[in-house]
Amino acid sequence: MSVDSARETLYHRGEADMVATIQNTDVKQEDAHGAVVVAVTSRALFGGDDDDDVSGVGVAFPLLQALQRVNQRLLEKDPAESLLFDVVLITTDSQQQQQSSRIVSSTRHHGLEVSRFCFSSQEDFIESLLTNNVQLFLSTDRNEALQASQQGVLSALLDRQGAPSEQLRVMLCGDAVVRPDAGPAPVSRPAAESFSSRLGEMRRRFGALDSPLSIVLVTSSGDRESCGVALRTLRSRGLGVDEAYCLAGAPRSPILSLLRPHFLLGDGVIGLED
Amino acid sequence: MRLCPLRCTHFILPPKPENAVTVAVSTRVLFRTEREQKVFEQNGVEEYLRYQIEHENEPFAPGPAFPFVKALEAVNARLRELYPQSEELFDIVLVTYNHAHVGIRLINTINHHNLFIERFCMTGGSSPIGYLKAWQTNLYLSADADKVREALAEGIAAATMFVTEKLTEVSESQLRVAFDGDAVLFSDESERIFKAHGLDKFFEHERDNEDTLLDHGPLKGFLEALGKLQKKFYAKGQRLNCPIRTYLVTARSAASSGIRALKTLRAWGLEIDEALFLAGAPKGPMLEKIRPHIYFDDQMFHVEGAAEMGTVAAHVPYGIAQKHNQKRNESARK
Repeated sequence: MSVDSARETLYHRGEADMVATIQNTDVKQEDAHGAVVVAVTSRALFGGDDDDDVSGVGVAFPLLQALQRVNQRLLEKDPAESLLFDVVLITTDSQQQQQSSRIVSSTRHHGLEVSRFCFSSQEDFIESLLTNNVQLFLSTDRNEALQASQQGVLSALLDRQGAPSEQLRVMLCGDAVVRPDAGPAPVSRPAAESFSSRLGEMRRRFGALDSPLSIVLVTSSGDRESCGVALRTLRSRGLGVDEAYCLAGAPRSPILSLLRPHFLLGDGVIGLED
Repeated sequence: MRLCPLRCTHFILPPKPENAVTVAVSTRVLFRTEREQKVFEQNGVEEYLRYQIEHENEPFAPGPAFPFVKALEAVNARLRELYPQSEELFDIVLVTYNHAHVGIRLINTINHHNLFIERFCMTGGSSPIGYLKAWQTNLYLSADADKVREALAEGIAAATMFVTEKLTEVSESQLRVAFDGDAVLFSDESERIFKAHGLDKFFEHERDNEDTLLDHGPLKGFLEALGKLQKKFYAKGQRLNCPIRTYLVTARSAASSGIRALKTLRAWGLEIDEALFLAGAPKGPMLEKIRPHIYFDDQMFHVEGAAEMGTVAAHVPYGIAQKHNQKRNESARK
C-alpha cells in the first residue's frame, strides 16, 4: 500500500490541503458501528529517538499496545466480536506529513495496528476527527485536546510519564462525573456518556480478575458521598468501576504515580499534571 | 476548614496526611463480613461480587476494630473542642483490596454507623501497601497476615486482627491502647536470647545491659504519635481526664528486666501511663481489668489468651516469636 501515491492523487485534484484519510489495508477495518474509534496524534506516538528509517516511539506507544491487547483478548473470547478498539493516527504536523510513508512504515515496524492514517492541517484536524467518527481523542497537546473537546469530541491528555502496565488502565475523575448544577454541561458530555457506556460493555466481556482493562475512579476533593454518587452515576451509564479512591483533599500525585493510568477522563479536558 | 459543596450538611474535610495520625483499616476488621467471605471461598469472586451488590443496602455489622475506631473519633471530638484550627487529629482511612463493586455497600455502611471516614482505597485486588505509604499511615489493621507482614517490612506499624465472639465492654470516652514490650515497642533482641538460651541467660543479659537502650520495635512510632496527642491535652490542663491512656503489659519483671524497658522508654522521651510487669503471669486477667480498645502482642499465644477473656487483641507478626508460631501451626495441622 502506498501512502504517497494516494496523496499524489489528491494533490493533483487540488485537494491536498484538505483532510486526507488513508486506510491501512494491512489491518482489518473495523465494523463502523461496532468499533470504538480512538484517535491519537503522530506527535504523541512518535517522539522518541529516531533510527534512520524508523521513528522512535513516544508517550502513546504503551497505550496503543494496551488497546491492542484488549482487542486480542476480546477476539479470543469471540472471533466475531465487533466491539473492538479502532485506532486512527492523526498527523497535523507539517514536518511529519512530509514523511508520511515513514509514519506508516514506523507503525508497521513497531507492530502497531492502526487502521487509518489521517493527514490534515492544524486548522482542519477537528474535521478529520468528526469524519472518522472518533469517540475518543488523545493528545499530548493541551490546546489540541481543548479544541476538540469544545467541538464535542471527548478528549483526554496522555500521561506524560508513560504507563508501564500491560493492562489498559482508564482513570475517571469523579469530581467531573458529578457536577454541581451550576453552569452549563460541557459540550463533550454526550460523547463522554456514550463512550462510558461502550467502555462498560467492553469491560463486561471479562470477569473481575485477569481483565485486560481496568476502570479506576478517583474523587479528589469531594467527600465519600460524592464518590458514592459517582459510582452510581457511572453504573447508570453502564460503566462498572474496578478500583475506587476517595482522596477527600489528600494530595493527588502520590496516588496517581501508583495508579499509572494510561489516560484520565473527565467530562471535558482535565490534565494529569495538576 | 474546607467545606464540601456536595454534602447537604456541612462537613469538615479530613486533615492533611502529613499533619494527621493516619490509621488505616481494612473492611474485614472494621466490619463483620464472614458471610460474604464464605460466599467468596465457596463460590468464587463473581458470585461474591453479585452477592455484595444484591445486599448493597444492608449495612455490615461492626467488626473487631470498630470500638477502637469509635474511640479515635471520640478523641478527635475532644481535640477539635480544644484546638479548632488544628489538623493534628486521627484520620481513619479504609484501605481494602476489595473490588469497587463493594464500594456502595461500604459507603452505605459507613453512613449507617455514622463514622467519620472520608478517605478510602479500594484497590480491586492489587496490594494496598503503596497507598499506605502515600498516606503516611501510622497504623495499619487488617485481617490478612501477609498484608500486615508486607506493611511491617515497609516500616509501617501494623497488626492482624481477628473476629471473636466474646467482647468486653470498653469505654466510649477514653481511648485505651495496650502494648506488649518485646518485639512490639522494643526490638526482639532480648526475646532471641530467651528463646536461644533460656530464662536465666535472659535475666543475666538484661542486668548486664540495663543501661543500654533497647532497639525500637514496630509499634514504637504509634506510641509516639499517641504521646504527641496526649501532650496537647496536658497543655490545656487536661492530664487527669485525658481521653487517651496507654499501657505496657509485659512478661518482664518490675524489679529486674523491667528496668531496662522503662529506661529505654524514658530515653526515647515516651511516657506510658501504666506499666504492668507480669513476671511471666498470664496477661488475660490483667487485660480484662484494663479493658483496652486494642492490645498489641507479637505472640499468638497471648493474643488468643486475651481474646478468650474478651479483649480485642491484635497480632504483630514480627521477630523471633514468628518462627515459633509457624511451628505451632504446622504441628496443629499434623
